Amino acid sequence: MILVDDLLLKPFVSLLDILHAMVLDELHDMGAIRDEIKENQLLYELGERPESEYERKKGRLEAELQVAEEVHEKLISGNIEVQ
Amino acid sequence: MSDDNSNLYVYGIIEQTDIEMEVDGVYGASTLGTVDYRSHSALTSTIDTTDPERTDEAVATHDDVLRAVVERDDVETVVPMGFGMAFKNARTLKGVMRGAQRAFRKALNDVEGCVELGIKLVDPADGATDADELRGALEDELDPLSAGQTEDDLFSDRLIANRSYLVEQDQRDAFDEAVERVETENEDVLVKYTGPWAPYNFVDIHIGAEASN
Repeated sequence: MILVDDLLLKPFVSLLDILHAMVLDELHDMGAIRDEIKENQLLYELGERPESEYERKKGRLEAELQVAEEVHEKLISGNIEVQ
Repeated sequence: MSDDNSNLYVYGIIEQTDIEMEVDGVYGASTLGTVDYRSHSALTSTIDTTDPERTDEAVATHDDVLRAVVERDDVETVVPMGFGMAFKNARTLKGVMRGAQRAFRKALNDVEGCVELGIKLVDPADGATDADELRGALEDELDPLSAGQTEDDLFSDRLIANRSYLVEQDQRDAFDEAVERVETENEDVLVKYTGPWAPYNFVDIHIGAEASN
């Protein structure tokens, strides 16, 4: 078990670990999720998206954002575990 | 974080004016008042924390309060603060206002008599529009009627343009008519026209215990 901040101290530990952290960050791209939330709101306000679809999508995106924020926080703090 | 209810949340700065109005304010505040320092007034509500949590709802509330002030006849110009500026008491706030006097004066001069208006052009679902032509039409119609423009984030593939305009109060009718022309001449395009807002995109002031911009 290796912590991400250990990678700075152990440069030869594993390129795989670094890639894993990068993939996690990419998978949970907060900027992209926030953009989708704004797009969803805009299309709803313009009458392009029915309320039911808007609400469903909003709920999903907010949940995704929450997970992304948690992952991001852990990546920054170095507390995410890479196995 | 303080337990008492005397902390002051600041929405923005205006030329010295006495205001007391009912609002749906940040953190459940129900009134908006002012704290003066020399020629400036801070728009404030009393809340029970100096560290308000930033949520979408709270940010929208902050914007709505400023919007209500922008619409008042006795206020010509509002310099908006970003969300989250809260102070322990009036004395602390006045100390910060003293340090930021010059920044406030400059910001008030920069946006004097102006409001911010926003326009978004959205591609119809079939995408059969000439985006460059539309952006050109927007510039031709609206830029001459404004004192400043910003290109804002194109957060969706369907956004053709997302712009904010600084518009003098006496140009607002002409600006409204120009937006109507853009809508009429481009019926397929979805237009989202918003405002008036406090001119967030045209001033950038953050006040705090240490410094001001």
